[in-house]
Amino acid sequence: MIVESASRRRVRTVLAVAVVALFVFPLYYWTTTAFKDAREIFNIPPNVWTFDPTLKNFEEVFGISLGFLRQQEVLPGGGNFYMAPRLWDSIVVALGSTALAIAISVLAAYALSRMDFRGRHAFVGWVLSTRMMPPVAVAIPMFFIYKDIGLMDSYLGIILMHTLINLPLGVLLLKSFFDDIPKEIDESALIDGASRFLVFRRVILPMAKGGIAATAVLCFIFSWTEFIFVLTLTQTGLKTVPVVSSSFVTSTGTAWGNMAALGVAAMVPAFLFILLVQKQLVRGLTLGSLKQ
Amino acid sequence: MRDSDRKQYAARAVDRFVKGRMDRRQFLRTAGQLGLGATALGTGLGARPFWTPKAHADAHAALKPSDEVLAWVRDVSAPFRGTTLKLATESTPPSNAINSQLKQYFEEASGMTVEIEVLPLEQVLQKLTLDIASQLGTYDLYYIDQSWAAFTARDVFDPREQLAANPDLAMPGWAVEDFLPALVDGIARYEDSLVGVPYDIPIFIFMYRKDIYEQMGFSAPTSLEEYYEQAKAITDEMGPDMYGATGQMKSGHYSLECDWTAWLWGHGGSIFDADGKFAGNDERGLEAMEYWRRLYGTMPPGVTGWTWDGQGQSIAQGVAATMMSWGEFFPYFDDPSATKVSGLMEAVRCPAPKHALRTVDETGFGEIPGVGHQGGSSLAVSRNSKNPDPAWIFMQWATSYDTQVLITALGGGTGPTRTAVYDDPRIIANNRVGPGTTRHLGVVRETIANDMGSEPDLPEWAELANDTIPVRLGKYFAGEYSSNKEAMDDIAQAADKIVSG
Amino acid sequence: MPAVTSAKAVFSSDHPLPWLFPLIAMLVVFTIYPLIYNIWLSFHEYAPFRRELEYVGTDNWVALWNDERFWGSLSVTLTYFVVVLIIELVLGMAIALLLDADLAGFGVMRGLLTLTLVIPPAITGMMFLLIQDAEFGVLTWVLEQVGVLDGTAPILSTPSTALLGVMLADIWQWTPFMVLIFLAGLRGLPGEPYEAAMLDGASGWQIFRRITLPQLSKVIAIAVLLRGIDLFRMFDYVFVMTSGGPGTATYTLSLYAWQQTFSFIKWGYGATISLVSLVLILVIANLFIWIAKVRW
Repeated sequence: MIVESASRRRVRTVLAVAVVALFVFPLYYWTTTAFKDAREIFNIPPNVWTFDPTLKNFEEVFGISLGFLRQQEVLPGGGNFYMAPRLWDSIVVALGSTALAIAISVLAAYALSRMDFRGRHAFVGWVLSTRMMPPVAVAIPMFFIYKDIGLMDSYLGIILMHTLINLPLGVLLLKSFFDDIPKEIDESALIDGASRFLVFRRVILPMAKGGIAATAVLCFIFSWTEFIFVLTLTQTGLKTVPVVSSSFVTSTGTAWGNMAALGVAAMVPAFLFILLVQKQLVRGLTLGSLKQ
Repeated sequence: MRDSDRKQYAARAVDRFVKGRMDRRQFLRTAGQLGLGATALGTGLGARPFWTPKAHADAHAALKPSDEVLAWVRDVSAPFRGTTLKLATESTPPSNAINSQLKQYFEEASGMTVEIEVLPLEQVLQKLTLDIASQLGTYDLYYIDQSWAAFTARDVFDPREQLAANPDLAMPGWAVEDFLPALVDGIARYEDSLVGVPYDIPIFIFMYRKDIYEQMGFSAPTSLEEYYEQAKAITDEMGPDMYGATGQMKSGHYSLECDWTAWLWGHGGSIFDADGKFAGNDERGLEAMEYWRRLYGTMPPGVTGWTWDGQGQSIAQGVAATMMSWGEFFPYFDDPSATKVSGLMEAVRCPAPKHALRTVDETGFGEIPGVGHQGGSSLAVSRNSKNPDPAWIFMQWATSYDTQVLITALGGGTGPTRTAVYDDPRIIANNRVGPGTTRHLGVVRETIANDMGSEPDLPEWAELANDTIPVRLGKYFAGEYSSNKEAMDDIAQAADKIVSG
Repeated sequence: MPAVTSAKAVFSSDHPLPWLFPLIAMLVVFTIYPLIYNIWLSFHEYAPFRRELEYVGTDNWVALWNDERFWGSLSVTLTYFVVVLIIELVLGMAIALLLDADLAGFGVMRGLLTLTLVIPPAITGMMFLLIQDAEFGVLTWVLEQVGVLDGTAPILSTPSTALLGVMLADIWQWTPFMVLIFLAGLRGLPGEPYEAAMLDGASGWQIFRRITLPQLSKVIAIAVLLRGIDLFRMFDYVFVMTSGGPGTATYTLSLYAWQQTFSFIKWGYGATISLVSLVLILVIANLFIWIAKVRW
């Protein structure tokens, strides 16, 4: 890389900190919202730095109480904000669909990267186009199918839908990661008598680990945040975070603090997942050059 | 009980206890009955002095369904044990009270499982229409906002029909006549049938800051014009820290349509005329718009971005002094842990209309003009349900006298839909300043009897009320029409086109 | 182990079909059927009184052509799509270049940026609704302090600024997505051409224009395609933040299709809107692939 002068490095650091701070600020504000009661959330002027932190919002969302801190009290409207199991639903769905999407995508991406066949360009185009259908249009027919085959309101049903929305992304990204690995590596292994599958499993997969990790992170995120399919295809069996977050909108106002508490808590599993694959990710980002 | 059943039951009990839906004593008793010591259920539960599961029910141990009611439930539910009932509902005080606190008693007595899906209003409509349109019976009971009554009428049982058909399943003392007649007409009646029974009744009442009114030397307004004068005086004197009025005027949202009807009806106008043509653009309708426009000038500029949430917060956080809106908010205002106005709010009936209200004969589609716009809902058993009888048992229980008292007393604050509940000592006992107060319920009751306004019933109403009207009113307040007339004519044209098909 | 043996046998030839089969199976079941169903649906409409779908010929298509609301939504969608895509692309590239350095703390900052992606857009919408609230919002307050807003025109309910308010949420959430993908590309670039260019005395802009950009073209193409498709179908933010308002200032095609389908039970009309939306994005995407000379 280019070696920069000390002053340029300083400018770069200052700029970077400023930009990242700008992006992190809404998160910071949202996190503080989770620790405020309604009076603080709606203070004028907005309370950015100084406020009385409360754990009430988290207690209500996770159904726990640090009761020794204050007297127990009955919540107006009954305290219907117990959402902890929904976090678990989200984790199951996101992990399941990510695993499935990656499994299907690596196979397909390898073939698309290594095997030349007529219509390959068009085929990739078609795969990409499956992401273009507005979700509303897919939701209705899927509702009928799911009802018929009993996938309605089930983990499997949602996992399949989320796998589907992630396939184009998975195939496209993984293919470009595989493309970066020189074909000569496969060929020399094949000449040595290894089978295609062995080459794929023993040589290519390990080399593309970083790319696979990066793709998995994105699949996880898209499943973690998907709204319309979960809304349409579930009832009471499971619900993911984006959909339950709307149940804080009630006829007697929106429970902003509780919603923020769930939002903040929901960042944790997703971020843990990113951290888990972080090591791979960094390598993926460095080695997996996507150059043409 | 078979061993596997017992384990399952124990697991459910633990789950409920952990979720705070069962208090400790009851949990230990249940565990004892199942032959399990608390330790056998997991070592952690008994030994966590500080990290204790929340049990709201503790403080209200006395607020449980009466033994008689539970005995009836147990009795009639015998053939249906093990049934699962599903209901999608808006997150309203009654549904929340049932879901988080009362449902467990019903489930225990009936042996049924009740799964309640709590959603914002628009999403309930989406679930409901999908279920009705597909005729698949994915829900056993429907929560029906009054504005959807016409569309859903043919897909639900008329409760009178159910009473007649199943005398064995009838709850003793449960009769349609016990509900406030005005509500049965305004919420549940569509043509000759009843779309369930009234389940909750948010209704427009007038709420104001006593302290500010005293400071200004005002008393509660008796006419709309007086209200405007007061609102203007407060905004002129105290703005922009305090505004004289507030609103729920988010473009494209149902709440904007609700505000509109109150001013419209209050000026002697109506949504439809007797021929079923849109009448919001007639002389009275335009006068109402003129009034609304003036009143809007006294509101915080943010009202055009608010639904009832922003409107309620503007009162709760001390930004606005008055609100003519959902009485359901009143108990929230009295909660000192959430608002800055606890004890400062007073409720009265809405100001009197400027011109005589139109009669039902002068309007179309069963519209009932009145300044007190109601947004009630009914609960009904779906005809597509595979379990209509158990659903009917649940419905009677959920709308019974006993349950309504508990709902209201548990801090709901929504107006009960049964006459007698207003007089129950447990409800009157909550007539004090504090969260979940019932001190506004007298006004709610009078409003239902005297001022209530109900929207028309026609299958296209959902589209008109959620889109056609509020989208154009939103345009109006964004200044995209040159005159009141132009705006209302535009709505008229669009509405008539939709109604005529 | 028989399973492995058979897998080996199936995957040992150079025929792509076994490799592609799971993908094709998933896509056929889950996308071809909905597509056919929607085409069929667009020639039908739900009859609320008979509780069934009835054939209406080309009525929906004709109605769509004459529907001002549709054209309005289309123009909002296109505006949103073009403006946000350009901003996210440029900003994403700028931030990626900025963060592409091995300085102290830069790894942490790259990680912090990805945090915006794990918030569900439905919650992001609520978050920006609160931040931009005319009375209680922190952004409104800041803008009033510096004199940009005067307190009379709330961001999200003034026609000229509402779409910007929605865009802000999108840009905040998805610019880091672009950064993530661009960084992946940048970090993998070989160093030699840069050193040669430095020796030749090329300026930073020239280096970027002549060396970095061409090498990143495929990464950029993928990012633009993935993001562009999602922008065209954007739903969550407007649904939560503005309900398409004020008036129809932020009414997108997706929201319109949603309203028709779920709120008014005009399934046929909703399907028609969705199909048009699909065709449009197909055309746009393929034009892009063709112009950018992307070969898969």
